[in-house]
Formats: sequence, structure tokens, C-alpha cells
Amino acid sequence: MQTKIGKALVIGGGIGGIRSALDLAEFGYGVTLIERTPHIGGILSQLDYQFPTNRCGMCKMLPLVERDASSQFCLRKGLFHENIDIRLSTELASVEGEPGQFKVTLRQEKNPVNPELCIGCGKCVEVCPVDTADAFNAGLSTRKAIYLPVPHNIPNTYRIDTGVCTQCGACQDACPTGAIQLLDEGRITFNILVVDDELIVRDSLKEWLEVEGGFQVSMAESGPEALEHIKTHGCQLMLLDIKMPGMDGVEVLQKAKELFPDLPVVMMTAYATVETAVEAMKIGALDYLIKPFDPDALIPKVIQIYQNLSTPVGPELEVGAIVMSGGTSYYNPAEGKDTYGYGSLPDVVTSIEFERLLSGTGPSGGKLVRPSDGRPITRIAWLQCIGSRDTQSDADFCSTICCMYAIKEAMVARERAARDGAQLDTSIYYMDMRTFGKSFQRYRDRSEASGVAFKRGRVHSVVPDPSGEDLQLRWVATDGTVATDHADLVVLSVGQRPAEGAQALTDMLGIERNPWGFVQTEAFSLTRTARTGIVASGAFAGLKDISESVIQASAAALAASQTIHGAGGSIGLKDCPKTIYDDVARQLPRILVAICTCNNAVTKGLDQAALVHRLQNDPAVKQVHFLDHTCTAEGWQQLEDLIKKHRPNRVLIGACLPYVYTRKLKQLGRDVALDPRLMEVVDIRSASLQPEASDNPTAAGIERILTMGIARLRHASPNPVPTVPVFQRALVVGGGIAGMTAALSIADHGFEVDLIEQSDQLGGNLHWLHHLIDGQEIEPLLTETRDRVNHHPQIDVHLTTRIVAAFGQAGTFYSTIEDGDGQARQLTHGAAILATGGSEAATTAYGFGNSDRIITQKMLEAQLHDGAIDPKALKTVVMIQCVDSREEPRNYCSRVCCPTTLKHALALKNANPDLRIVVFYRDMMATGFMETYFTQARKAGVTFIPYTLDGKPEVAVGATGDQRLMVTAHEPFLDRPVEISADRVVLATGIVPSLPQDLVQAYGVDQDEDAFFQEAESKWRPVDALKEGVFACGICHSPRNIGESIATAEAAAERALRIIASERVASGSIIAGVHESLCALCERCIEACPYDARMLDPDGERIVVNPVMCQGCGACAAVCPNDAAYVEGFDADQVMEVIDAALN
Amino acid sequence: MAITATINVKDQDLLGSLQTFCTAILTQEDIRAILVPQRQPMKSMVMPTLVTAPEQLDGIDPLSPAFPMNGAKVLAKLTRKPSGGKIAALLRPCEIRAFIELVKLKQARTEDVVLIGIDCLGALRNTDYFRFAGNDAAAATQRFYEGMLAGKETALDGVELASACKSCEHSIPDAADIALGLRGVDIGTGILAQAQSPAGEALLAQLNLPAAEVPKAREDALARLLEARTASRDQMFAETAAATDSVEKLSNYMANCVNCYNCRVACPVCYCKECVFVTDVFNHDPAQYLRWAQRKGAIKMPTDTVFYHLTRLTHMSTACVGCGQCSNACPNDIPVMELFRLVGQRTQEAFAYEAGKSVDESPPMSVFKEDEFQEVVGL
Repeated sequence: MQTKIGKALVIGGGIGGIRSALDLAEFGYGVTLIERTPHIGGILSQLDYQFPTNRCGMCKMLPLVERDASSQFCLRKGLFHENIDIRLSTELASVEGEPGQFKVTLRQEKNPVNPELCIGCGKCVEVCPVDTADAFNAGLSTRKAIYLPVPHNIPNTYRIDTGVCTQCGACQDACPTGAIQLLDEGRITFNILVVDDELIVRDSLKEWLEVEGGFQVSMAESGPEALEHIKTHGCQLMLLDIKMPGMDGVEVLQKAKELFPDLPVVMMTAYATVETAVEAMKIGALDYLIKPFDPDALIPKVIQIYQNLSTPVGPELEVGAIVMSGGTSYYNPAEGKDTYGYGSLPDVVTSIEFERLLSGTGPSGGKLVRPSDGRPITRIAWLQCIGSRDTQSDADFCSTICCMYAIKEAMVARERAARDGAQLDTSIYYMDMRTFGKSFQRYRDRSEASGVAFKRGRVHSVVPDPSGEDLQLRWVATDGTVATDHADLVVLSVGQRPAEGAQALTDMLGIERNPWGFVQTEAFSLTRTARTGIVASGAFAGLKDISESVIQASAAALAASQTIHGAGGSIGLKDCPKTIYDDVARQLPRILVAICTCNNAVTKGLDQAALVHRLQNDPAVKQVHFLDHTCTAEGWQQLEDLIKKHRPNRVLIGACLPYVYTRKLKQLGRDVALDPRLMEVVDIRSASLQPEASDNPTAAGIERILTMGIARLRHASPNPVPTVPVFQRALVVGGGIAGMTAALSIADHGFEVDLIEQSDQLGGNLHWLHHLIDGQEIEPLLTETRDRVNHHPQIDVHLTTRIVAAFGQAGTFYSTIEDGDGQARQLTHGAAILATGGSEAATTAYGFGNSDRIITQKMLEAQLHDGAIDPKALKTVVMIQCVDSREEPRNYCSRVCCPTTLKHALALKNANPDLRIVVFYRDMMATGFMETYFTQARKAGVTFIPYTLDGKPEVAVGATGDQRLMVTAHEPFLDRPVEISADRVVLATGIVPSLPQDLVQAYGVDQDEDAFFQEAESKWRPVDALKEGVFACGICHSPRNIGESIATAEAAAERALRIIASERVASGSIIAGVHESLCALCERCIEACPYDARMLDPDGERIVVNPVMCQGCGACAAVCPNDAAYVEGFDADQVMEVIDAALN
Repeated sequence: MAITATINVKDQDLLGSLQTFCTAILTQEDIRAILVPQRQPMKSMVMPTLVTAPEQLDGIDPLSPAFPMNGAKVLAKLTRKPSGGKIAALLRPCEIRAFIELVKLKQARTEDVVLIGIDCLGALRNTDYFRFAGNDAAAATQRFYEGMLAGKETALDGVELASACKSCEHSIPDAADIALGLRGVDIGTGILAQAQSPAGEALLAQLNLPAAEVPKAREDALARLLEARTASRDQMFAETAAATDSVEKLSNYMANCVNCYNCRVACPVCYCKECVFVTDVFNHDPAQYLRWAQRKGAIKMPTDTVFYHLTRLTHMSTACVGCGQCSNACPNDIPVMELFRLVGQRTQEAFAYEAGKSVDESPPMSVFKEDEFQEVVGL
């Protein structure tokens, strides 16, 4: 694909980082994606199931156009993309420069295992004597010091946890490929100064570190002696005792730091003086070690410190923008004061631990058994808000994700139990179930119908039942009754916390943090920081679920892209010479087979001559060669020489880890002028490990794999990858804040945009909104955005205009617009963004319409603004939440109403502290940082009374002259009816979308059952329609606030930019086609195609495929009985021959 | 309101009455032609014939036990695109059901056709029919229907009904626009005519036939017939299952197959322009045959015979209407129909689908349900 000169750095390889990196890469920028852990995927590598499907689906994030640029397999296993350079175990070391021209240096952690040589055989694990907690399974199981970070990586190479490795060397001896190099020559010259007044400590440390650690050790028995030593001899690391006669450790530290500010010092302390050690770290100590020392723990620790210190800083990179996508971490209940027995009761686990219990790669292989004794689990209790909505744990925020994942976990656990024919009770103990997304309430209802019990109240304590059989939960329900429940597993729904390392990273980048430690973003933006060109992606700025993280990641990519573009990064194309491959299409296949012996490890005992003979029985096989190591540069050169010498037109390489070769094959193809699609790497290494029942198992297995590869190659034909032309212009429907933002985002990249607005002015709902809950004025946002749109040379604004018809596909759409005078004209564009907005829902509930004192929140906003309401003149205001919402037919949460109610309640209280405000609510949706306003409102004296659907409050208009309103309801805490005489009743009626059905149909996309835009996938493609090329944002997409709407707009713009970035866009090489001579026009393939890529030609005589919309899934080929529908690269004769070879 | 009428029968002459009925249809202004089974001149065989001139209806023979081909394919050729006029088609129930499958497969259209079905009395294998009919097809037809309506199914001059017909539970044309009833009806006086769709009602109304009621005896007669047929079918299923329940037995079952593909040509629902088995996909490389032979020491030629039948079962068993033309067409007497019906019964059951029942039911492979067959897909 085309590569532009612009570059970006993405920090963090979780879902957000991947999304940002892919978006930027698909636009054509070069991306460096760094990740501090040894694998990508972030928290999602540990989570197997996501709602609402209760499955995964991450692969849906992979590119849909230009697919050959990327890997096209399970994204949890790994990612390869031409424009993305992924660097694992790597952190940012330094940043300099200006937006558009940052100079960054990276630091990559060294590991004794060479990934180039490791073939993942696992022999090292068999001999490793160390057992340690397995972080991947959240500590529920153990692993060895040499281990696979995640079980499913591609390629999956082992690494050594130097923090626990004892350097025994067993793995090094067991490794068949010499991939492990434990001894580090650098240690011999690494001088450690041990400072301690006790001789025995000095001596034993010296012996351990010299003999077992391989370091050079000097000693000093007092502070002055130590200082003298470093002045004369210097040292690279000082181990410093705290409690010494005369000058104590802290004083030595201070003096040493004055002399050598960069000297790494590690304090040695007894348990009693740990606090002093912690203090010492504040004045520059690197770490501390607690006495008495255990050599098995001490030596690895020192080695790790050594490695961190000695890791060389990588080459300097120039990038235009930096995307911070460090994710979040999760509250550790062990930090609290005996959080429900967590840590002491093994059957009290965190939600992350429970995800691992559910997982097939988890400690119990996915069986629902108790961690304590392995017995089947029959009753699970989820406890919500652990480390969230809790000022005691410094969390005056709602973590936003826990309610939904608890419901999901309960559902998945129930499905699991049902599958196994087991009984399972599932209860969720909660304060508010925050089902705030557009499909969440129905998901909760579904779970409730399937038997998940929702219990509102606070759990006081979890203790072992006296019988010893299970756990006892004592809890208080909303009516004050105290109950005792039983469970054999308690899951603590832990909340989010700033990511590990977030503080250091933001400090380095000079980015501010909010009071809770998350990145502080600019007003109305969820991604932009005070430093232009440095943006926050994913959940890094706090409290996002997957869907919102992915939206935010695309929005962050957009913001980064604007900076890069502004610095000229998207103007020029990187200089990549076009490769001309030899035309071999009309030649008979001539296959060269190269077999990697892996230093004879694979081919041991193999009769090579016999294998060559049998392979050459096939007339297509011209040469068979054995090479020692194709993975090394030397071996690869031998292969290249062979190809240049023999000029085969197909090359089969029998080696290991085929995915690793993707890039190498592309380069080889350029070097030997042979299309890489005519070269293939097959994994004979795994075959050689399979035990088989024949005399020579390896030979049979290897031969089978090779003949399968030969069969594939024989039929391989490198047809050109189809492309479609792109009309590099976008159309945005709707001139509210989302539509304006989307238009600006695209236009700022130099592409022209038509912005269609049916009313006579831009701005939409911003016209009646005045300020945010935090006091932020909205008017300046409206004015500034509108002015930018109106004056932008690339934006064509069409007011009082509507779309009357549209058709087309990704790359080329034709839309007919009609202006106020009835004049119609056609616009051509490559992508379409729907931003038609929504409005406050109308209602007739609670007597609305019977009295002008019964108003909606929108009316209250207006009346507060224009002074029609004087808060001082009011005595009592009642607010009712969820009016006509979260019940059929409008069974969704509108998300903005609870914050609006809090905003107005606080404003009224502020103006008149004596005013009584009563809020009737079902679940207060004060998600994220909004929770703090909920806390403020309660502190300010606002009364919150919960109600249920079968006990809604009733509003009566008084018959007397003053027409006072009387609200009656059941008060659950008092468990009795209450009557409230109110001056105003304010109804929160929620949002309804304004997304006309004919508009949606014109663009060939769908609405959901509530008439919002139906996204392709709520988590993985949250702003895309299933049909490529159409996107949506703002509140026609889903209910959301201004900042969140802007984020969707930026995300939609970024997704559209991928398409209009180039004059032509290519599909993938694996793509469906039609053999017209065989086609009976039964149209089953059209019905089967999930991407709407197939259609009957207007003449009715043939089926046509849009190559860019086709994703090569093969559903069409599967329903077609006679191969008239086919998938390139999977011809029937080819597949049959491969199967035939496999069955040999 | 559904119309039930009677077609008068004079002198026990059922064929004559049907000819009158067809003539009446053909003389309707909006009907351009009628497709009916007609005796061929100088031959005893009966073939679907497209008639536009009423006077050419004198060879009409819808009650003949001759069943040389399933007429659905012929009717599909006539209806797959608008032809500029409406036709009526008089067909056996299994032909109508196959036609409905072809409509769903976009090979035919219902817009310009009125389907007229008649209680099917069964058919003979081609070879048996020639023996049975001798030189006088008209007399053979009369002998046949009189015998069948008298309940003498097994005593037809030493021949038997085709196996497909003996086990057929669909001999009543439920999916026709107009159904003509013989069973449980006093055919001495009239043939029952029932409109079963708006198109059928419109046409039947135009014919101005005397109104009638469904005789009480009909329900009973149909129930008894269904019971006997179902029992026969179940026995056939049991025998076929026992004969094919391993790969070895299945290979034996198909051992006579010579890849002539007659069965697929005869099959009314096999709709491909060209079967994948006659394309290059199965035109293997000569080296491939040698590899196969080498692997086992010997291979039977031609290859791909069992594979062919398995593939056809995979593709078409959900659309199989059990007409039996596959067995009829087999030169080597392989009981193809028996296997197709057995497998089709199970595949159609699996998708709660019945081939040929209604154009409104989508074929299983055209429908995607996320949550089906969890025990198979493991989700």
C-alpha cells in the first residue's frame, strides 16, 4: 500500500493502541507501536468474552480495504501491518522537539531468549526449577521462570522473567537451537559497592553477587568509607544499608547523590525501617531490599536492576505525533483494609481473576471450580463498586465498566453451567446498575430473564460459613433489612485506576493529570491534551469501556493525524520503487523446495534422499534442497542464491513459524522478482514434534506438510489485486456539533467536504445548551466551530438542504440533494458520514401538558437561562428520571439525563440553598467522573429516592387556584408512601434520534430497533456501518454528551479518511469472484454475503462483486453448489488437492 | 373465500372431463397456453406438452402411470423470465413441489403461471411402464386409474408402482393454485376442483363450474393412504439406513455407478448450469491418478463416484421432493431415490424445512441464524 512520509508513535499495544495504530497506518502513515509488556492486546489478551455477543470479535478491527497490508488472523494472537513497526518490551526513554517533529528515543528490554532463534518447543520449561505466580492467570496458577507471556501469541517465543530466574542454566542446556544466552558478559565489569556495617552481610552479599551473579563487588563498612570509594574508584550500583553507626544510610545517599546525581542506589533495610527506605526513594534511591536476604530472591532482583540500568537506549526516531494509549490498571482489593476477605479467603476473587477462571486457557481450563478446593461452583455473588464510587479508596468516580462486565460474567457463567448441565445461582449486589450504553439495558433485561438475580444493597461482610462449606454474605437491602446469603465464590467487581507507569509517562511528556491521576484533556475533547501533537487514546484518559475506548482511539488517531498533516506529513509519498515481478502466469509450475533442518533438529533420522525422491515424483517439483537455518541471515542468503540460480516459478520453504516470514517473503520477492504469493512457508517443525504411529513419524509428518504446500503452490496464480477508484471527497449529513466536527476533521486534511444541513443554520442542539456541569460555556464552542466551518476553503455548506436519493459503494457514492427552492443536484463522494442528531423525547407521562409547571429538563435549561424561573421563589422541585426510558418500547438509557439533572439540581441549590430538591430515579447514571457531582449533589442536600417500574411516582395537578403539584410515591427506605407538594416537576425524557429511515436505506445501512444508527459491531467497529464507506457520529449514533459526540465525529472522520486518502483503494488478494459461464443466477451468494458486496447486475444476467467491500470470507463460495462463486486463492481443485495431500 | 367446485364426468370418462376442463382454461382470455401431459403420436409415452390450440388437447393424459421426467424443469424454462402471457400447468404434486424449489432458487417464477395439481395415483418406472402399456396407452391409463382408485396398488399386471410413489406422503397437490381431487370422490359424477390461492380462485371463478363440497369420505381416504405410505416409507428408510450406515456399505451401495450423471440430469432441483463434477475441478491431473493408485496399490476407475453422490446430497438433499426420477434414470439400478429421501428427510428436519411446501419458506442455506446448531458449532 501507499506510505506517506508522516510518522506517528503509539505508546501502548492494547485495544486502543492497536486501533489508533491501524487507523494511522491505513491512512498511510508509518507507525511505531511500542508496548512495555512482551505482547500486544493489553487487558483483552486475558478476556475471552465480551458482551453483547458474549464472545470475542477483536479481529473485526482488522483492515477491510488494502487487506494484504495486514495480517488477517486472530488479532489477539498478533498483528502484522506493513506500515506498523511493533516493538514489544519497549518503553519511551525521552522526547524532545515540537509538534510535527518530535524526536523520541526508545528503550527495549533485553531478554536472554533470542526470539529469532526460539522455536517455541517448550523444552526449557520442562527443566526450569522455578515456580512463580502466573500474571496472565492473575496469579491463580503458577508458571516457570522461563515462560510464554500469553499462551496464544504468534509467533510465541519464550522469555525469561529475570526477576525470578536463578540463573541455574538448565534451560540453556536444554534449548535445541541455542536461543538462550544467560551469561551476560557485561556483568563482569559491572561494579557493585556493598555498604554495610556488618561484616557477615558484606561477605555473603559479595559471595552471592560474585559467584552466582557474575558481578564485580567492592565493599565499604561505613558511610565515609563508601563516599571515599566512589570518589576514587566509582561504582555502577550502590547497595546501601540504612542503619549504620555514625553516618546513616539516608545521609550517605544524600551525599552520594550530591557527588554523582545519576548514581543508582538501592537501600537495604530491616522490616522496621521500611518507611525510612520509602522516604529514601523520594530523595533518589532506586529501590530497596528487605533483610534478612534470601539469595534466590536477591540475586534476580539485582540482575533485573542491572538489566534496566544497562539496557541501551535505542535509536532516535522522528515522529509527527505521539498517541498515548497506556490503558488503565485495576484496583487491587489487597490495598484496602481487608476488602471482603480478599487475599485471605481463596474463594473471594477479583473480576479479572474470574475472567481467567472462565477461560479455556485459565487455571482450571474453563471449568467453574472453586479456587480453594476445586469443587464445582454452584453459587456466585458479584459485589459491585469495589474501588469505585468510594471516597475511602480515593475513588470519587464510577469506573463505568464494572456493571456491564459483571452482568456479562454472570451470563457467560450461566451459559457455561447450562452447557455442563449444572445448576448455577448468580447474584449481583449493587447500588445502581449503570446500563448506560444504547444496548445495555436490554442486555441487563435479558440477563435477568435468564436468571441473574440483581440485589440492591450494600454487602457488609464476607466470612467463611461456620460449616466450612462456603461463604456467608451479610448485606443490607434498600429497605434496611439485613440478610445473610451464601455463595461459594465471591467476585469483586474491581474498578479502574490510572495505568502503571502513567505518572512517569505523563511527567516525561509534560502532560497534566486530573485529580484522580488520569490524563487531563482539553475542554470538549476526550483526546487532546494541552500539548499539541500528544493525544490520549483508548482508556488512558480514564474510565472507558471497549466500545468507547475504540471510538476514542480513532478520535486520537484523527487528532494525531491533523498534527502530522499540518507538518506536511501526508503530502509526499515515501519513496518505494514499484516492483515488477516476472510474469510466470502461463508457465508450468516449477517448484523449488527448501527444507530447513533447524541444525538437524527437525530432520534427525530422516532419510533425506528418500524424501527428495518421493517429492520429485511430482513433475512440478524441480529442486529439493536442505538448509541449516533459514531463519538466520546466512540461511536466507543461501535460499536467495538458490532461487537466483535455478529460477523456479514457485518456492516452498519448509521451516517453522510461517507468520514470521510474511515480511521476509515480500522482500525476497522484490530481490528475486518473483511474486511473494508464489512463495510459501510451511511449518514442518510442529509436524516433526507430533508423535505418529508409523515407523518414521517425522518423515511422514514432514512429507505430508510439504506435499500440501506443493499442492497449494501448484495452483497458485498471482492475479492482480483489484482496486476501485476513489472520489476523494466526503459528504457529511447534519450540521450539529458532530457533523461540523467531522467535516472540519476531514477538511483539515485537505479533502473537500459537502456538509448538508436541513435547517437554515449550523449548530443543532448547541443552540439551546448553555453550559456544562463543570461550568464550561458552550456558546464559544458553537461560535468558534461554526466560524471555522463557514470559512474553511474545503467545506461546502448546504443549508436548508436534504438528501433525496443516494446510491453507490465505498469509493464512489452519488447523493442527490435538494435545496430549499426545490433545486436538485447530484454530489459525488467517496465516503458518507451521517450526523443527523436527535432531540429530547416528547412525553405525555406524569401529566405533562396538564400544567406549565410540569416541564422537561430541556425546558428547565431554557427557563433557568432566560430567567423564567427564579430559584429563590421556589420551595420544592421534584425531578423524575427515566421518563418513558429504559422500558419498552424505548428500552435504552439516554445517558445525558442524569448528568443534566445533577447539573440543574446543583445550579438550583447554588442559587437557593433552602430549595428542596427531590430526584426520583431508578439507577443514577453518573458514570465516570460525573460521579463526583452526584456526591456533591447529595452533600448539597438533594434528596434521591429510588423507584421501580411497578412503583412509579404519580403527579397530580391541584384543583385549587394555585394549582400546586402533588407527587406521591413509595419511599423504600422508610417503606411507606410519601406525598410531596412541588412547585415544579421536571421530567428527564431522554434522547430520540432523528435518523430518517429513507436516508439510512439510501446509503444501504441499517437502523437499530430504537432508530439509532446500527453500527457494524458495537465494540470493534463502533462508528462504521456494516457497509464499508458509511459512518455515523453524534446522537443519531447513540445518546451521548458533547465531548463524546465530538469523539465519535472525529472517529468517523478518521475512518472515512482511510478510504479517501488515496486515488484508488485496493481490496485484498483473497477475494471472491464469479465464473459467469457456470453461474445459474440463483442469487444465493447475494443472500449469503454479509458485507453486501454482491449484487445482480442491472441487466439481470450476471452477479457482480465489489472487490473493496468483499472481505474474502467465502460464504458465497460455500453456498454455491458448482463453484461459480469462488474465492481467489482457494480454488476447488487446489483445496481438494491440499486435502488429499493432508489425508495421505 | 376459497372456491370448491366439481368438474362433471360423463360416462366414467375421466380423461374426457379433464380435456374439457383444460379446454375451458385455454379458452380464457388471459391464459395463453397450457402445459399438460400428452400422449405422443405413434408412441405410448406421455410427455409434458405446451398447448396453445384447444383442438390439440385430445391426447391429454394426466392420469397415465408414465412419468418420464419431472415437469418442473420444463415449466422453469417457460417461466424464468416474463414471457408476455400467462400459462396454466397441469402437474403431479411432486412436480409442483420441485417447481416451488426452483422458484426459490430463482430458476423459475410464479408470476405468470397457474399451477393445477391433480391427486397423484402414482407412476411406474419407465421400463415397467412400457411393459404395462404395450401399444395402447389410453387403455393402459384407464386400467391404471381404475385399479389404483379401487385400492389395488399391488396388482398391476405384475408390475409395481415406482418405489418413490409407494413411499410418497405428498400425493395430494397441497401447493397447487387449483387442486383436482380424485380420492374419496365419486368420480362417476365429477372431479373435485378446489382453489387454493388467489390466482387459483380467480381462474376457477372464470370457469363457472358448479359449486360442490368436499365429500366426507375424502378425508378418511386420504388419512388411510397417508398411513400406508408412511409405513412403507419408514420401512424403506430402515432398510436404506441399514444398507448405508458405513463408508464400506455406502461404497457397495454405489458400486454400480459409472459417473453417467443421468440422475443429476433427471433431478428436477439440480439446477446448476453445469455440474461441478463435469468441470475442470474433477478433471484431475494424470499424475494425481497415479498418486492415488500408488497410495493404495489400486484404485477403482472411474473415481469420485461416491464423492459425487455425497456432494449431490450435500447440495440438494434439503431441496429433494422425492419424485424418484434419479432412480428412474439410473442405467445400473442404483436405488438413488431411497438414499436421497432418507438423507433429505433428516437434513430437512434439521432445519425445520419441508422442500416444496411454500415459496415463502427460505431454503436453509439462504438463512443465517446466529444461534442454531450450537451442539455442532460448539458456541
